[in-house]
Amino acid sequence: MFFRILKRDLKRKKTMNMILFLFIVLATMFVASGINNVVTVMNGTDYYLDKAGVGDFVIATMGNHAVGALDEMLKTEPAVLDYRIECVVYGSQENVTTKDGLELESKNSLFIQSEKSSQITFFDKENQPVTDVEKGHVYVTGNFLEKNGLKEGETLCLNHSGVKMSLIIDGMAKDALLGSEFMGNTRFILNEEDMQVLLDNEEIYQHYRGEVCYIDTDDIGAISSAMTEVSNVAFEGSRSLIKMCYVMDMIVAFLMLILSICLIIVSFVVLKFSITFTIAEEFREIGVMKAIGLSNGKIRRLYIVKYLMMALAGASLGFLASIPFGRMLLRAVSEKMVLGNDNEALFNFLGALLVVFVIVLFAYLCTGKVKKSSPVDAIRSGQTGERYKNKSVLRIHKFPAGNGLFMACNDILSSPKRFVTIIVSFSICTLFALLLVNTITTIKSPSLIHAFGTESHLYMTNVSDVMSFIGAGSKENVEKRLEDMAKELTEEGMPAELCIEVQYKYPVTFEGNAYVFTCQQGLGTSASDYVYTEGTVPQNKYEIAITPQIAEITGADIGDTIIVHFGGEDLECMVTAFFQTMNQLGEEIRLHEDAPTDFAFIASAMSYQINFTDAPTEKEIEIRKERVKDLYDNDKVMNATEYCIDCTGVADTLESVRLLLLGITMVVVLLVTVLMERSFIADEKSQIAILKAIGFKDGAVIRWHVYRLGLAALAAVILAAVLSLPMTKLCITPIFGMMGAADVNYRIDFVQVFLLYPGAVLLMTVLVSWVTALYTKTIKSSDTANIE
Amino acid sequence: MAAMLEVKDLCKTYVVNKRQNNILKNVNFTVEKGEMVAVMGPSGSGKSTLLYAVSGMDGATGGKVLFDGRDITKLGGNELAAIRLDEMGFIFQQMYMMKHLTILDNIVLPAVESKKTKESRKEKTKRGEELMRKLGIIEVADNDINEVSGGQLQRACICRSMINKPKVLFADEPTGALNRTSSNEVMEELVKLNKEGTTIMMVTHDAKVAAKCSRVLYIVDGNIKGEYKSPSEEVQEKDRERLLNNWLMELGW
Repeated sequence: MFFRILKRDLKRKKTMNMILFLFIVLATMFVASGINNVVTVMNGTDYYLDKAGVGDFVIATMGNHAVGALDEMLKTEPAVLDYRIECVVYGSQENVTTKDGLELESKNSLFIQSEKSSQITFFDKENQPVTDVEKGHVYVTGNFLEKNGLKEGETLCLNHSGVKMSLIIDGMAKDALLGSEFMGNTRFILNEEDMQVLLDNEEIYQHYRGEVCYIDTDDIGAISSAMTEVSNVAFEGSRSLIKMCYVMDMIVAFLMLILSICLIIVSFVVLKFSITFTIAEEFREIGVMKAIGLSNGKIRRLYIVKYLMMALAGASLGFLASIPFGRMLLRAVSEKMVLGNDNEALFNFLGALLVVFVIVLFAYLCTGKVKKSSPVDAIRSGQTGERYKNKSVLRIHKFPAGNGLFMACNDILSSPKRFVTIIVSFSICTLFALLLVNTITTIKSPSLIHAFGTESHLYMTNVSDVMSFIGAGSKENVEKRLEDMAKELTEEGMPAELCIEVQYKYPVTFEGNAYVFTCQQGLGTSASDYVYTEGTVPQNKYEIAITPQIAEITGADIGDTIIVHFGGEDLECMVTAFFQTMNQLGEEIRLHEDAPTDFAFIASAMSYQINFTDAPTEKEIEIRKERVKDLYDNDKVMNATEYCIDCTGVADTLESVRLLLLGITMVVVLLVTVLMERSFIADEKSQIAILKAIGFKDGAVIRWHVYRLGLAALAAVILAAVLSLPMTKLCITPIFGMMGAADVNYRIDFVQVFLLYPGAVLLMTVLVSWVTALYTKTIKSSDTANIE
Repeated sequence: MAAMLEVKDLCKTYVVNKRQNNILKNVNFTVEKGEMVAVMGPSGSGKSTLLYAVSGMDGATGGKVLFDGRDITKLGGNELAAIRLDEMGFIFQQMYMMKHLTILDNIVLPAVESKKTKESRKEKTKRGEELMRKLGIIEVADNDINEVSGGQLQRACICRSMINKPKVLFADEPTGALNRTSSNEVMEELVKLNKEGTTIMMVTHDAKVAAKCSRVLYIVDGNIKGEYKSPSEEVQEKDRERLLNNWLMELGW
């Protein structure tokens, strides 16, 4: 009997049951993939670094005496548990061309090495380890191939210090150490024999060889202190620093995480709605069952079993769909990282199980009303008829618009709970898309420029110049180079002053603790040209500014004195200010222009900054940008906005995620709209029929339904647009903060935030609800006679 | 008297499980302006189907229905809707109303939808209130639909059906869901409306209700089996009922 009732119920209420079933499938798909993605992203970088074998501390040496520079420290430092060293040859974008001789672009210096001697594992795009690179072939890491429009199977030419070789591209490889947007270095992974040809060259052997060392340790502090004795260090960093370098890439991953959480919330909100809705539909039958003497327990069991069966069937299907769906979401991040977890199926299964549990719980709670209501109440669909407060909120004679809009507004205001589902789910999806829009708008603006240095008209990046500074440069040479360039530009009718940010690695002592920090000093600028968040500008070489990150590491504060070991001269420098920078993820000291820096300690230099002195217009600056490119045969000449985009390096990925997200938002809007509109039609069949019977045209009924969902969507997008800025600040500021810029002046693209995205969601809702509402045409006025 | 409704060879066929069911078989009759006609017959005889086909709520398979001279079987959905809105009124056994609107707003809703008059919303609302006052339910104007009795609700349905001053009122078992008292009240209102000039065609099972009509059509298996013309109003109600019952019994009721 029990199962016969169930069977008939499933058959008879086909539409509502089918709608609920679809909701369950969707909810499981979102929840299961969401949980798996949350776990994957949380363990993201650790999983990747472990799989690649990066170790706990990484050091890269560069320059004339780079090879062997680490030997002494590695032998004597007891904190070194194990280490692996690989030999690399440094190069720049000038060393590679296409087979037709076209120049190729690389953001930073190139690491050329053999696959055999590599001490970490590289992964291909399918996340399989790269092994056995054939002679004459190469794997390239990072987005070098994509940026230069190169594809697998094409040939590129390597021309370094007179050694020329043609290499067939085997594909892109993922590099755990240097693959992050923040590092931005490209590795060329060659065959052992090809690598030997390079190393056989005297010039390369002498000047361009270096080492990358991966250390296993349980005392990062000891290794860090030991590094104060090592020279020729181009990079040193702990595992946590390397992980931090993925922060830009992890923005995307975290966005996926937030998206997954949003989808989980949307799923549960929609599920709650549909279960409450379908159970409300069943109250008349519940009343009949009570009237004929079935116990409350039996009635509840009947419905709980029904929902359990539907949940099990829907969750099974949703579980299967969640695996490809989750992978699709993570693909945007996985392009540069190997993301995943070894228990993917388990987490998806747990997600599906959670959905089943929640459905049964909802069903249990919703059927709780059975106990409280009498058979008659239940037959009256749970209404006792003793309400004294009117349900109707609006009055037709006071309403200024047509019937469709009046009924739509009145429905929403009379039973707001029903529409909260739509408002909440659409708001969450839109808000999330807007959050990303605000982040991209900010990254694609000069808003972050002070986090990289001073604002200039143009920035020119020249990696080979930087490498020559590191190899055999001097402060005087660089100053001369700046003067020469200023002269050249003036001669070309573009009077300008030039400056450059130079980064040094200096040992630093505070309260007896030793550290090595990157210290930045501008050549051609003065300390007062920079923005400080707290304190006063350093006035002389005995004053420095530090970032909050340095303050946290050392415990130093404004007014404290830090000893900076400038090679031959140790200076006691007072901290006079805090500043924020996205260089070195915020771990940096800013030196006064008179500080006794020495190029022997240079770690890197940033771009040449060109400040025109004749106050050119924006348009003129753009024209000059092209002229500077031609003059120096350098494509990497950028304005402030382009420079910010180049430095953060994540804008392109975010752009692609934005499109994915817009797509997902639209799909969620589509599904929720279709399912809810279909639910409403099923519920309101009698009302639709009566409206038609009293002379409402099909169009009028459709308008009523479209207005209703349209108004709910309008409320949702307004809410999302209004909340977008505070939510962006809340969610994205901590991520910028991790990169060193906690105080970000967010930019808002009003057209996108207030028109484009809300408009797209609204348009989609209206279109979909209109198409779905066309179904009301099948309900005839004569159906009034057939409705129960 | 001019004909309000002329039904000629009206057929209605449903196909269920590939089997053809002829519900209405060449039905012919006329309803004059100002008449109050009842359609009676056993369950499944096609009474409601006839009412829906004649009112244009459901399409006919064959034949003609001339409403005020226009063949409504040839009209499209929107034209039929416009006629239902402005020229016809409907009352159903189940008192369906829009559940989120007050009684008054439910009544005024068709008037607001109609472009028949240039009255303002306020004027239309006032007219709705007058109708409610006339039918004795003004005190529930601002009530929710589940806060009134069945009789009040059915009278509200009558108000709604009358708000656009229709030429004809169709009623499908208007007292079917009401108790005797409410049923009498509703019928009194319908008779009053008829006396004021509204043509009424109703389907009923109740001979007491049908006895108040000027004419009764008896339908069996989709055919009009007989037609009964009520005696003049001077004949007492009980006698009218008795005479009708006698006639019905002759037809096998």
